[in-house]
Amino acid sequence: MLLFSLSLAASAQQKTVTGTVTTATGMPLPGVSVVVKGTTTGTQTDFDGNYSISVESGQTLAFTYVGFKKSEITVGGQNQINATLEEDTEALDEVVVVGYGVQRKRDLTASISQVKGEDISNLVTPSFDQQLAGRAAGVQVTTQSGIIGETPRFRIRGIASITSGTYPLFVVDGVPIYTGDVGGYASTNALGDINPADIESIEILKDGSATAIYGSRAANGVVLITTKKGKEGRIATNYNLTTGFARPVNKFDLLGAADFVTISNEKRSNRGQSDWAAGTDFNTDWQDLVLNDNAFQQDHNLSFTGGTEFLKYYLSIGYTEQESIAKPNEFKRFTYRANLEQKIQDWVSVGVNAGLTQSEYFGLNTGTNSLSGNIFNATRQHPNVSPYDSNDPTGYNLDDTFPDRMGRGSNLETVGDNIPNIIFAIENNKYFSKINRLIGNVYADIKPVSSVNFRTQVSIDKANTNGFLFWSPIHGDGNGSNGRVQSNNNELTRWNWQNILSYNETFADAHNVSLTAVSEYQKERNQNFFATGTDLSNEFFGKALISGSYGVQGSGGGLTENGFISFAGRFNYNYKQRYYLQGTLRRDGLSSLPTTTRWGTFPGASFGWTVSNEEFLKNNDVVSDLKIRGSYGKVGNVSIGNYPYLGLYSPARYADNNGIAYSQFGNNNLRWETSIKYDAGLDLGLFQNRFTLTADYFINKTEDLILQVETPQSFGIPGNNYNANIGNIENSGLEFSATARLLDKEFKWEVSGNISFVDNEVITLVNGADRIGTNTIVREGEPINSIYGIRYYGTNPQNGNPVYYKADGTLVQGLLPGGSYAIFDPNNPSDVSQSSSLSAADDRVILGQSLPKYFGGFNSNMNYKNFDLGFLFRFSGGNKIFNATRRDLLNQNFTNNSTEILGRWQSVDNPGDGWTPRLYASTNTTTNLTALATSRFLEDGDFIKLDNITLGYTFPSEVVEKIGLSRFRLYLQGQNLWIITDYSGLDPEMESAGVDLNGTPRSSIFSFGLNVGF
Amino acid sequence: MNMKYKLKSISIAIGLLLVLAGCNDDNVLNLEPYNDISENAAFSTADLVALSVTGMYNGAQRGDYNGQGRGYPFGAAFVQQGDNRGEDVVNVATFYQLTYTGTYDPTTANNVFYWSDTYRMINRTNIVIEGVARALENGILTPEVAQIYTGEAKFLRAAGHLELLFHFARPYNDTPDASHLGVPYRDFAINSTETLAAAEAQGRNTVAECYQRIIQDLNDAEAALPAVGERADARQAITRATKEAAIAFKTRAYLHMRNWPMVIQEGVKLNSRFNLTDSPNGPFASGYGNTESIFSIENSAVNNPGVNAALASQYNRRGLVVISPIIWRNPAWLSDDLRRGEGTLVTTRSGVKYTNKYKDPVNYTDPSPVIRYAEVLLNMAEAYARTNATGNALTALNRVRNRSLADPATQAYVAADFATPAALVNAIITERRIEFVMEGRRWPDIHRLQKDDLAPIAGIPQKVANGTPPADSYTLGTAYNGPYGVNAIPYTDFKFLWPIPQQEINNNPTLAAQQNPGW
Repeated sequence: MLLFSLSLAASAQQKTVTGTVTTATGMPLPGVSVVVKGTTTGTQTDFDGNYSISVESGQTLAFTYVGFKKSEITVGGQNQINATLEEDTEALDEVVVVGYGVQRKRDLTASISQVKGEDISNLVTPSFDQQLAGRAAGVQVTTQSGIIGETPRFRIRGIASITSGTYPLFVVDGVPIYTGDVGGYASTNALGDINPADIESIEILKDGSATAIYGSRAANGVVLITTKKGKEGRIATNYNLTTGFARPVNKFDLLGAADFVTISNEKRSNRGQSDWAAGTDFNTDWQDLVLNDNAFQQDHNLSFTGGTEFLKYYLSIGYTEQESIAKPNEFKRFTYRANLEQKIQDWVSVGVNAGLTQSEYFGLNTGTNSLSGNIFNATRQHPNVSPYDSNDPTGYNLDDTFPDRMGRGSNLETVGDNIPNIIFAIENNKYFSKINRLIGNVYADIKPVSSVNFRTQVSIDKANTNGFLFWSPIHGDGNGSNGRVQSNNNELTRWNWQNILSYNETFADAHNVSLTAVSEYQKERNQNFFATGTDLSNEFFGKALISGSYGVQGSGGGLTENGFISFAGRFNYNYKQRYYLQGTLRRDGLSSLPTTTRWGTFPGASFGWTVSNEEFLKNNDVVSDLKIRGSYGKVGNVSIGNYPYLGLYSPARYADNNGIAYSQFGNNNLRWETSIKYDAGLDLGLFQNRFTLTADYFINKTEDLILQVETPQSFGIPGNNYNANIGNIENSGLEFSATARLLDKEFKWEVSGNISFVDNEVITLVNGADRIGTNTIVREGEPINSIYGIRYYGTNPQNGNPVYYKADGTLVQGLLPGGSYAIFDPNNPSDVSQSSSLSAADDRVILGQSLPKYFGGFNSNMNYKNFDLGFLFRFSGGNKIFNATRRDLLNQNFTNNSTEILGRWQSVDNPGDGWTPRLYASTNTTTNLTALATSRFLEDGDFIKLDNITLGYTFPSEVVEKIGLSRFRLYLQGQNLWIITDYSGLDPEMESAGVDLNGTPRSSIFSFGLNVGF
Repeated sequence: MNMKYKLKSISIAIGLLLVLAGCNDDNVLNLEPYNDISENAAFSTADLVALSVTGMYNGAQRGDYNGQGRGYPFGAAFVQQGDNRGEDVVNVATFYQLTYTGTYDPTTANNVFYWSDTYRMINRTNIVIEGVARALENGILTPEVAQIYTGEAKFLRAAGHLELLFHFARPYNDTPDASHLGVPYRDFAINSTETLAAAEAQGRNTVAECYQRIIQDLNDAEAALPAVGERADARQAITRATKEAAIAFKTRAYLHMRNWPMVIQEGVKLNSRFNLTDSPNGPFASGYGNTESIFSIENSAVNNPGVNAALASQYNRRGLVVISPIIWRNPAWLSDDLRRGEGTLVTTRSGVKYTNKYKDPVNYTDPSPVIRYAEVLLNMAEAYARTNATGNALTALNRVRNRSLADPATQAYVAADFATPAALVNAIITERRIEFVMEGRRWPDIHRLQKDDLAPIAGIPQKVANGTPPADSYTLGTAYNGPYGVNAIPYTDFKFLWPIPQQEINNNPTLAAQQNPGW
């Protein structure tokens, strides 16, 4: 009875309403959410803007669509309701996330670059940061190898410090997160814990005005990541899949077996020694054995988004599995995200943004100078031997006399440097890291009156990483210690509490004022411990740390903390959106500094003049937007360690006896390292912003650099240094970015590009003294880390000796077997009698700058009917690279070589390429000058790359609707496919501080993907 | 707007703020380290002082090599560098190539860390000397304990400076009064801005001054330290400084000073306090408990110079350095000498001779033999020989040599074997090469015997080529006469000495003006 009356009542009032939703100009709007207010009943308009919904009289239909004002119509007697949605100019106005708030892009007076999440979400990538390369002016991201888990280098407007951190601050939904390697035994990248598909937008704060609100943490720039939020409307479900294969971009040209035998024995015979190599039964390509040409990668993302007036949600899960091109490197990631916001009252809402990630990295030994380093080892192995040997009990080719070395096969000696069989290490040893990561916040927004908003937000970033390492006792790295197992745990916890009070008001329709006040507290506690076992009872016990399975046990750990307290304010004013003024002030107290100098004050200011809003330019046909900006800011660097000012004693055991020893020289005068940033910029939009241009000139001066002041080694001070504020460094440059909508009819074509020119100069150092590294130098008046070494002349045509320039320009030749030098006279090259020298102290000169002078990208997106085609080219140049890998590949020991060695000097009549000296066994130090950089291996780092290209097809909505979908797109994509460069190494981006040494090749990826909307 | 709800919410928010107001200066900003002890507290209790004393030995054992422990100076490096600078070993791989082939420069890691880590240890000794004095003043330590600690510090300080003199300064006899440059003899703790300035003002002391300070420190140490029998156990008697260790070091220092009577005077103090083990393998087979080892650096399975430095790793398992055919085929080394014993002191792989003195290639627990009684005996033998006490010289020499002879009755040296004192001294020097092969003693001998009147060595002798020597080069029967692959370096050549590291030159104007000539 009750049931009956209910259904009767329902049937009595329920009816179907249909209609069309259009814009003010009459264009039908597909995809508009139509919801019966106060219920979960809803639908969406179809491709022609039509909808149909079941509703009762008296209920209200709400029409919502991004970029348009919401429309609500109460259902009366009619069965057809057409709605017209007005464009929401406020919403259409692009919004940019700034520190502790948002601003409209046109109100911006600071220098901020924005990258949309959708631009990168479909790319196959272990972490989103890699894909920012080339997309924003002034931002330089370099992925230096194909190893998944290694953190790319990230620079915003140059290098702002010499010994402190140079990595930007990353903030996810207001949570300042951990970056870099977070522990374990395989390399990890903390940014890999963020699912790129969850990212709505990425803002890169570059100048002083934008970053000053982050005060002490902003010296290297700030990257703000905003995740996707729920939107009012019917639930939208999206599923994205990408699957593909990666392969190395390039491999070294190494000698095959026959050339290898010739070259090896020539090294020996030139020295009057017996043969090294014999036999060509095998022709093993060791690079192929350690690299993977078909590394499988797949990526799945499923998200649900929607909401009502009261509760909005974005929920997602993601799964990524990527094999790297280096065996057995692999990455697996599960991500979960829930972003919810509940309105409790009109004036108060609470919310949570939480991301939970589990990332697993399977790594390997990639040591560039390690006997079991994958590339170090593989490029040295003899091509004329087999990696396997069925007669050996292990099945691997191990030497009969020296089972810790690679088997010599038919050769007469074991491989140079006594390297082990790398295939054994790759197939048996384990390096593993697993990160459990929670990045999240809980907040409340209180809006007592319309012009005031108060937000309090409590955030946490917790990364708990477990590592495991196993070295087999049979062979390789674990052979010496009869095996090794290690397990560790690294727990990083960062709490952050922010209170943000903001006020917005417009007076007299002309004066727009906003104020933001912030208080922020942050504390982190980082704890780790490890356990090791060596002398394993059996290689069986290699899957985990197993009690009682090893003879020698070790353990260790540590605990550090740091914290800061900040108070900040921002004041914005504009007059009729013509004249802008912004001021920020932040005061930070940092636990890492002594009590007396702990608090620092960081001001910032900027102004803007939107010329296009002046009467004389308003409604101008050509100039649609013109703004002139200028800014100043002072920011600090907190990447200075936890207790850099204290005099300390640390544990120092003597064998198994406990002890402590002096470990850090104290400096109670340590104070903030600060950067002063100036920026002048121009924004120009033409023809309804069909063409836009942004130009900036910047100067960043870092002062009071905290440098590790070197103390003379004979003082015996720990580390031979202490921390003090000495030194200045300056980065300056020009940035341009431009966009153009070339075609916007049926065929749409948008292009954008950016280019940056950055100059770096070291202004002052401790006592003006050079800081000299192995291959580089930091010297006043020069760019940081300039390549420093000996200039090379070529070979002596008479005897094949390497000839170098001394600092005074005279020539000397290295005499073999080595260690001594004689004057080289080009007119009398056979004379080796006049003794001379080549000195690391006196004869090195600056060979070139390691920092690119310019870099940028060019992006294109085309749409025709249902097809879309996009690509990104990146370029960089003006830098030199010291190709130390190339030097390694010309090794004079009994190892394989690159084909470059075929150009060696053989005789007066056959002098070779004039560049490669005579072969002479075991004389690397002189023949290749292994202790110093030389211009012999110095090359230009210029390149242009096709970073990615995507061809997509979106099925017509009338087709997909029939199978219950709202969107269905397929795409093919290639990444890192093509490079134009003169650089002879694998890839000019595989350098670190200007030096390329035995890196794992970067990868090219071909993939296929689909985007499905329900 | 519902005012009641609003007030309620705001009061909840305020409550929350009060909870979070636990964020204050004390728990956010005033943080103290957990991993390290503040320098103000380091010498505040007797237990902490004892830890700092052990910390000096840590400095001797492990050194700091770009953040790792690598056995500089006494945990391994003195052996490896001392051997590879001489001709009695062959470096087969890249590891010690720069040292072996004389291609070092002021930035070469081996010589840089030798300098840097030895001074690092020395600063620790000076910190202990001053810290112990303060602790004594404050009544934290008893005078007895304070005296021992200071003695240990002075012993290590002397040993460190002596080691530096071997590599960075010309030998004692380079000038008649040893007035040429030695090394800065650091005798105060450098741990404050003021002491930085004082240290920078100090240049290189003369060789004579350095030796005088070394002897002074060793005399103080001898007086202060417990005797071997007073150490807690046999292991500590070898691995911590003792009265006897100070005396033994004096015989070494006086030998380098060419003060023969004092070598003898110090040496005789150890008569009957030590004995050679029955077998030449004894000090190595039981390194932590034998009658011969006077001072060795202790290593354990979890704390040793590591895979890239531990003696048993580099010399034994990895076989990076081998015995040279030059000494292997020296006719004075009899073919049936026990020191050729396969499996005891030597292993042969593919015909090439590897030392087996360091026996634990898995856990690297062998001690690093810094000084043993055989050296004291040979130091005395040489001093006797040079002062024409031929009989005593022969007795001491034969004590060392006879234990390794297959048939001492027929093979032992007799006076008639040596027509001249020079012949006897040469025999003693050769005996040192055989007895201490791959124990790092060759370089100090090459160093001190430059311009010697009886057994001169001219510069750094030529060596077998870097790389594994062919098996047939080890065939006994004739002295090795080539091929060589590493040229001799004359005494006059600047490469005879290691350069003061570039880092020091860059940062210390005083020493920059005192670099070894030619570098």
